[in-house]
Amino acid sequence: MEKMDYPKLQETVWHEKLENGLEVFVLPKSGFTKTYAAFTTRFGSVDNRFRPPGGDEMKVPDGIAHFLEHKMFEEPEGDVFSRFAAQGASANAFTSFDRTVYLFSATRQIPENLTTLLDFVQNPYFTDENVEKEKGIIIQEIDMYRDNPDWRVYFGLIEALYQDHPVHIDIAGTAKSVRSITKEMLYDCYNTFYHPSNMTLFVVGGVEPEPTFELIRQNQAGKSFPQGGDIRRTVAEEPPQVKDKKRDIRLPVSLPKCLFGFKEPQGTAQGEAGIRQELATKLALETILGPSSPLYQKLYDDNLISDNFGYEFNTGPGFAFSIIGGETANPEELMERVTAALYDTAAKGIDSDVFERTRRKRIGGFLRMLNSPESIANEFTRYRHRGGDLFRVVQYYESLTVDELNELLKSHVSPDRLAACIVRSAEA
Amino acid sequence: MPEQFERGELERLRLHVLPTKRFKTFALSLFAGIPLSESRVTPTALTPFVLRRGTQSYPDTLQFRERLDNLYGAGFGFDLYKRGDHQVVNFRLDIINDRFVSSSESLLKEALKFLGEAVTAPALEDGKFRPKYVEAEKTTVSKRIDAIINDKIRYAGERCVEEMCRNEPFRLHALGRKDDLPGIDAGTLTEAYRSWLQDVSLDLYVAGDTSLSEVQEIVGGAFRLPQGSPAGYQEPALIPARDEVQTIVERLDVGQGKLNMGLRVGSSYGSDKYPALLVYNGLLGAFPHSKLFVNVREKASLAYYASSRLDGHKGIMTIQSGIEIANYEKAVGIIREQLAALERGEFTADDLAKTKAMMSNQIREIQDSAFERIGFDFSGVVAGKDRTGESFISELEAVTPEMVVEAAKDVKLDTIYFLRDRKGEG
Repeated sequence: MEKMDYPKLQETVWHEKLENGLEVFVLPKSGFTKTYAAFTTRFGSVDNRFRPPGGDEMKVPDGIAHFLEHKMFEEPEGDVFSRFAAQGASANAFTSFDRTVYLFSATRQIPENLTTLLDFVQNPYFTDENVEKEKGIIIQEIDMYRDNPDWRVYFGLIEALYQDHPVHIDIAGTAKSVRSITKEMLYDCYNTFYHPSNMTLFVVGGVEPEPTFELIRQNQAGKSFPQGGDIRRTVAEEPPQVKDKKRDIRLPVSLPKCLFGFKEPQGTAQGEAGIRQELATKLALETILGPSSPLYQKLYDDNLISDNFGYEFNTGPGFAFSIIGGETANPEELMERVTAALYDTAAKGIDSDVFERTRRKRIGGFLRMLNSPESIANEFTRYRHRGGDLFRVVQYYESLTVDELNELLKSHVSPDRLAACIVRSAEA
Repeated sequence: MPEQFERGELERLRLHVLPTKRFKTFALSLFAGIPLSESRVTPTALTPFVLRRGTQSYPDTLQFRERLDNLYGAGFGFDLYKRGDHQVVNFRLDIINDRFVSSSESLLKEALKFLGEAVTAPALEDGKFRPKYVEAEKTTVSKRIDAIINDKIRYAGERCVEEMCRNEPFRLHALGRKDDLPGIDAGTLTEAYRSWLQDVSLDLYVAGDTSLSEVQEIVGGAFRLPQGSPAGYQEPALIPARDEVQTIVERLDVGQGKLNMGLRVGSSYGSDKYPALLVYNGLLGAFPHSKLFVNVREKASLAYYASSRLDGHKGIMTIQSGIEIANYEKAVGIIREQLAALERGEFTADDLAKTKAMMSNQIREIQDSAFERIGFDFSGVVAGKDRTGESFISELEAVTPEMVVEAAKDVKLDTIYFLRDRKGEG
């Protein structure tokens, strides 16, 4: 058991890598009633072509990681939700581009709930019948998102940005791809990606480290796993050009929704360098596009944006892109003015006072986030998978320079890597 | 043992301070409520939008926001919602405790001063709100009201309640009515704001490493309120369900149908029957082990979501599900069957135990979030019912199967609302 101390943040994380390869982290929060645990596998929607240790390359249907997430909750003796409920825990799961996370929060029976979490995720139970039954539910989930303009414009932009990288594939897949999924495919994915050496368990809240580790060690020692090995993911080579400059989608909306963004041709760097790049790019975008920027205020005064105007910078294995925009009466003018401001700042450089103020704001935002055990667990795991450390974010911020931001901004906002997606109502 | 609130009063403000060292922040929350009414709903909704544009010390919006950035990115925001038959504006400010940053000023003091000025000393021109801000925020509110339709799940939920409560103030939306906006200008809004400050019930909460006496000292100078003593909240009107269930079908360009139901439950948060109703709602549709999730989703594969929600402050319950349009009759049938089954007492001791365990857990979890703890406490203030987490859990634990069946008998279906596509229209 290794102790990682962060005196400035008044946090301590305990870490151990178990014999079977599982990485375990425990963060005791003194005075907290609740415990939150997240059991994460590095398997998400982008992992659609891979070679399992010692096997041949396979290509799996779109949406399979998410389908697998749904099916994990079924056990021979029934539904796992019901067991968690009997132990007073609320359980859930989600699938992202590069991760699937199983979680619970509870205030009592923490050892029992931790055991349930480990056991259900490590006990796949798929039958032809239960796989078939799930399809109706997932197709309703897909239909629900199809009617949601925010989701459509968001994913529409990613589809416009990417030609080959699987980040453009909808996390839930399509009705057609979902119908093609079989229990054999689910087992193939499970056996490849749910090996303990591909997984992380993070426990945060009202827990003691040593007994928690002991429970997890014992639980894992009682199970046998085949020898783990390298999973070879085939990452499609993404050309620098975007797929489409512009996508149009028709859905009933009160005002058009317009998102646009730039893709980084190579994704971000690996490890800490990549984390710094992500934080620096977000900080640069905040100085130009944040609610306290002159541009934001001008666009608001000119009735081109609403309070939902914003930006994101998303990164993961082999991909990185910005997403900017919101609802607007005039998508073309909004895009024109925002991109002009981005190119202009990239040419002239960010003002150093604005840089300092914005950095202070983002450090404050980060510290406020540490009140939430859920955010700590999910963000810590995300950083860890990428070779960074969540609790060093303040140091990363403090070491950034305005020159570094200017360089990154200049290379990010390249007109030939810009795409847009607009959702508007059908013409009457 | 969780920390307890310290209570005080300062002229028109009720103060509630939760001294705790668990958080890295100070959480400030101000609840401002008045009875819902047709004449006041829109100006009241517009007011916080204008207040967030500027104060006497920071009259320009950019200055206002830069000030927040300089307070280590303090998170300032507001929400508008209904609590029973009241329209509540909730201002929030979340700020880092000085001990985590090298700050020369007391951040709690600066935060309270900022909040007090934002609410009680806005930027004025000739004694009125700045017309530029009023006009811009009228547009913003109007867009917000229009945007409700973009999220079909929310839209269907709100339409269902609106249809059920057609003849009471509760039909009004917390954002107000779009048609009222053109008639409002800086002069009329400033008048409405001043009379709102005269009448509104104000509860100020602070959670963090502080005390009532420290807060009291700062608040005295930070809020400039009219003289008076704190105003209270009234109990909601409990309206019986329609004699015959009404069915409303609305058509839009949607792929998935949204099936919503509105029900009257006959009592509210302050009532002794409330814990049994909450357990009833848990058995029906609040959890993945509840009847709606199990029967509509898991057994029939009809939906991705199927749940129920109890609004204890108003004494109503809603059911919501997203289904394939052709499955409407089938889904309505399954849901009504679940309501009937609960009335017949068809649930196991195991179902009841799970439901109670889940609800007790939710209440205990509230203790770990400053804003949730504050929200829970404020519910008690609105309803005039003093409940702590522990006392509420004991009330829930004491609910018997018979009490659930009694509660079920009070639950009456009033409205079925279905949002569907345009196929076969007319």
